[in-house]
Amino acid sequence: MAAAAAATAAAAASIRERQTVALKRMLNFNVPHIKNSTGEPVWKVLIYDRFGQDIISPLLSVKELRDMGITLHLLLHSDRDPIPDVPAVYFVMPTEENIDRMCQDLRNQLYESYYLNFISAISRSKLEDIANAALAASAVTQVAKVFDQYLNFITLEDDMFVLCNQNKELVSYRAINRPDITDTEMETVMDTIVDSLFCFFVTLGAVPIIRCSRGTAAEMVAVKLDKKLRENLRDARNSLFTGDTLGAGQFSFQRPLLVLVDRNIDLATPLHHTWTYQALVHDVLDFHLNRVNLEESSGVENSPAGARPKRKNKKSYDLTPVDKFWQKHKGSPFPEVAESVQQELESYRAQEDEVKRLKSIMGLEGEDEGAISMLSDNTAKLTSAVSSLPELLEKKRLIDLHTNVATAVLEHIKARKLDVYFEYEEKIMSKTTLDKSLLDIISDPDAGTPEDKMRLFLIYYISTQQAPSEADLEQYKKALTDAGCNLNPLQYIKQWKAFTKMASAPASYGSTTTKPMGLLSRVMNTGSQFVMEGVKNLVLKQQNLPVTRILDNLMEMKSNPETDDYRYFDPKMLRGNDSSVPRNKNPFQEAIVFVVGGGNYIEYQNLVDYIKGKQGKHILYGCSGLFNATQFIKQLSQLGQK
Amino acid sequence: MAVDITLLFRASVKTVKTRNKALGVAVGGGVDGSRDELFRRSPRPKGDFSSRAREVISHIGKLRDFLLEHRKDYINAYSHTMSEYGRMTDTERDQIDQDAQIFMRTCSEAIQQLRTEAHKEIHSQQVKEHRTAVLDFIEDYLKRVCKLYSEQRAIRVKRVVDKKRLSKLEPEPNTKTRESTSSEKVSQSPSKDSEENPATEERPEKILAETQPELGTWGDGKGEDELSPEEIQMEAEIDSIHQLVVGATENIKEGNEDIREAIKNNAGFRVWILFFLVMCSFSLLFLDWYDS
Repeated sequence: MAAAAAATAAAAASIRERQTVALKRMLNFNVPHIKNSTGEPVWKVLIYDRFGQDIISPLLSVKELRDMGITLHLLLHSDRDPIPDVPAVYFVMPTEENIDRMCQDLRNQLYESYYLNFISAISRSKLEDIANAALAASAVTQVAKVFDQYLNFITLEDDMFVLCNQNKELVSYRAINRPDITDTEMETVMDTIVDSLFCFFVTLGAVPIIRCSRGTAAEMVAVKLDKKLRENLRDARNSLFTGDTLGAGQFSFQRPLLVLVDRNIDLATPLHHTWTYQALVHDVLDFHLNRVNLEESSGVENSPAGARPKRKNKKSYDLTPVDKFWQKHKGSPFPEVAESVQQELESYRAQEDEVKRLKSIMGLEGEDEGAISMLSDNTAKLTSAVSSLPELLEKKRLIDLHTNVATAVLEHIKARKLDVYFEYEEKIMSKTTLDKSLLDIISDPDAGTPEDKMRLFLIYYISTQQAPSEADLEQYKKALTDAGCNLNPLQYIKQWKAFTKMASAPASYGSTTTKPMGLLSRVMNTGSQFVMEGVKNLVLKQQNLPVTRILDNLMEMKSNPETDDYRYFDPKMLRGNDSSVPRNKNPFQEAIVFVVGGGNYIEYQNLVDYIKGKQGKHILYGCSGLFNATQFIKQLSQLGQK
Repeated sequence: MAVDITLLFRASVKTVKTRNKALGVAVGGGVDGSRDELFRRSPRPKGDFSSRAREVISHIGKLRDFLLEHRKDYINAYSHTMSEYGRMTDTERDQIDQDAQIFMRTCSEAIQQLRTEAHKEIHSQQVKEHRTAVLDFIEDYLKRVCKLYSEQRAIRVKRVVDKKRLSKLEPEPNTKTRESTSSEKVSQSPSKDSEENPATEERPEKILAETQPELGTWGDGKGEDELSPEEIQMEAEIDSIHQLVVGATENIKEGNEDIREAIKNNAGFRVWILFFLVMCSFSLLFLDWYDS
C-alpha cells in the first residue's frame, strides 16, 4: 500500500517531469533515453514551430538540448540551408502551413532523414498530403518515423500548466464572452481547448472524473471532453489509456478529479493587486513562460531637461526549477523575499571569505615546517572548497538575479503605492470597514496609475452587495475620468453583474484580515539594501478564493448549495451521460482545476497554499491562458466598447 | 503518450500510390522513383566532413573498447590468488599507456584538422554552426574516453606510490622525513600535481580496498583530465623543438668547418698568384737582357 501510495504521489506529482521525459524521448529518435557516459555522440537538428518553441522553452534549456545531441534548433518557417547527412527531428502542429513547409523541405532534400513529431494528432488527409509530397520527391525512405506526441500544452511549474501562449487571443476571456460570437467560432475555440486538455490527460495517463458548473463555457468544454475521452476509451485497439501508456498511473486506485470552472465566477481576482513574489513579478514586470524581461536604466539620475534619454539595458532572466531561491520564495510575501535575499547574500559572503582565508593559509603554509601535518587537513578543505566553487558561483548568480528582479518590483511598488491598493482591496473583498473612502484614493494623484484606480473601483463594484446609488456612481465616474481612466470596463462589469445577479448570488470572498505592521523599523533593521520606506509590511492571512472554495467542496465531497448542482461526467462509465449524483463518495486525492477563460498566479498560489495543509493530496492548476491585470483590463474595455 | 503512426504513414503512401496510378497521374515515385533515389544518392559527394567525423568517432570508439577490455587486468594487479591470465606485467601496462597516448594524440590532431577544414568552402552560417557543434561533441567524447584512461592510470600510479611508501615504512617518530621522502617519490611520478599528494599519507592499510573514493582527494582527477590533451600537445611541441635545436647545432658545426677550409684555400691561392706574377716579371727581365 505504501508503494502504491508512493507511486501515486510520484505519478501525480509532476506533469513537468512527464512532459520533459516525453520530449527527451522524442529527441532521442523516439527511443527511451538512457544516460551513458561513454556513449558515442549522435547529432541531429531540431526544427519546431512557434507552438513547439513555447512548449520546449520552459522545460529544456539550450544546454540540455546540446546534451541531447542537438546541434541546431531552427524555426520551421525560417530560411534553412541544406545540411547533408544529418537527421532532422520536427516538432510542429499539424496545420496547413506547417504541412506545406514540411513538404517543401522534403522536395528540397534539406536533410538526410526526417523524424516527424506532431504536437497533437494529425488527420488522415494531412498525412496523405505528406505522403504525396514524399512520393513526389522520392523521399519516402527518408521519412524514418512519424509520431503523434499529444503534448499540446505548456507546463510552467511542477503543478501548473497553460494551454497556449501563441494564440492566447483565440481562447481569451474576451473571445469566449463576446456578445457577437458566432456558433462556429465558439466551436473552434472549444475544440482547441478540448484538444489541449485531451493531450494533457494522455500525458498524465489518467482518465478523470469531470465536474463543472451549469450554463457556462466550462460546461461546453466538459461535454466535449467527456465525449472525446469516451470515444477514445471505447476504441480498444487504439486507446491511449491502456497498457504501458499508463505506467505508474496503473497503481493509482483513485482517479483524479477535474474541476472545470469559468472565469465568470470570479472576476475580482484577476484585477486584484497582489503581494506574493511570483504574482507580483507577473503583474508588474514582463513575465512570460518563466522568463522575465527587465529594462535597466543605466544613465545619470538627474539628466538635465532636453538631454538624451537614458540608455536602457534589456536583460532577461529565466526563473527555472533549478533556481532554489525561486522555488522556495515564489509564494512568499514580498518583504520576506527581501529579507531572504539579504540572508542569502550574507551566507554567500561568509562562504566566499572562507575560501579566501584558505587561499591565504595555503600561501603561508609552505614554509612553516611545524604545521605540515595540518597541510593534509587543509588540502582536504581546499579540495572541498574547489569542488564547491561552482556552487558558490551559481549562488552568486541567483542572488544577483533576484536582487535585480526584486529591485525592479520594488520600484514599481513605490511608484504606484501598490501596498496601499493591496490593503484596501483586501478590506473590500472581505467586507470589513474601510478607513479611507474610495473616492479619496481615486482622486489621489500620486497613488498609482489610472489603471490601478480602475482596478480598485471594479473590485469594489464587483464585491458590493448592493450597487451604489446613481449619484455616487456619477461621482465615482467623474473622479475616474479625472484620473484618466477609460470607463469601458465598467460598462461590461455592469452587464456582467446584472447577468450573474440573475443567475446566482455573487461569490463572497471569505473573511480575511491584514495587519499592517508599522513602517520601516521592524523589518528593515536587518540592514537590508532594499530601502522600503513607506512600504507597509502586510501580513497575509489565509483566505480562500472562490475557486479554491469550489475545489474544496468538490474534493472533500462537502455539500454546499454552490456546488451541489454541478454536473458530473465519468468517461469510463458505460451508459448515460451525467447524473447529478456522484457515484463516488470518497474524497479525492488528486484534483486538477482548470479555468476556462484565463487564469493567474494569485489563484495558483492560493491553491498551493490550500493544499499545503493537506497531506497526500495534489492539485494541478491549469488555465486556457495566463493574463495579468493589465491585459485583463484591456479585454474588459474591449468588451465594454460594444 | 506518443503514438507511433509510422505504419499509418506507410499505408497512406501506398494509398496515394495506388490512387495516382488509378488516376494515371505521372508520378515521381514508383519503380522509377526508387532508381532515381539511388541515382540521386550516389553522385552526391558523401559529405566529406561527416564521413571523416564518423571515422574519428569510430577510432575513439576503438580506443574506448581497447581500454575497457584491458581495464580489469590493468587494475587488478595485486590479487595473487588469481590465475596467470589475470596478471599483467608492468611492461604491458606501460605499453598500454603508450599506445593509448599515441592514439589520443592522433585523435585530437584529427579533430583539429577537421576544425580548420570545416569552415572552408562553406558559406552557410547554419552549416558552419552545425559543424562546430559536431566537432564539440566529438571532442567531448574524446575527453570522456581520456577520462577512462587517466582514472585507471591514477589508480596504478597511486598503487606504485603506496607500495613504495609501504616498503619504506620504518618506525620513525619523525614524520617529517617520511613525508619528505614520499613527497619526493611522488614528485618523481610523471604527471601528478605535487600539492595534492600529501593528502594520501593517511591510511596505508587501505591500499588494497577502496581505491575509488580516494581518487577524490588524489590529484583532483578532473583537473588532470582537462589538461591531458594539452599536456600531450606540449610534449609533442617540446620534442619537435628539441629536434630543431639538434639540427641547428649540426649545421653550425659544418659551417665552421667550411669556413676554415675556405680560408685555407684562399691563402694557397694567393701564394700561387704572387709566384706567377714574379715569374712573369723575371721572364720579362730575362727577355729584355737576351735581346739587348
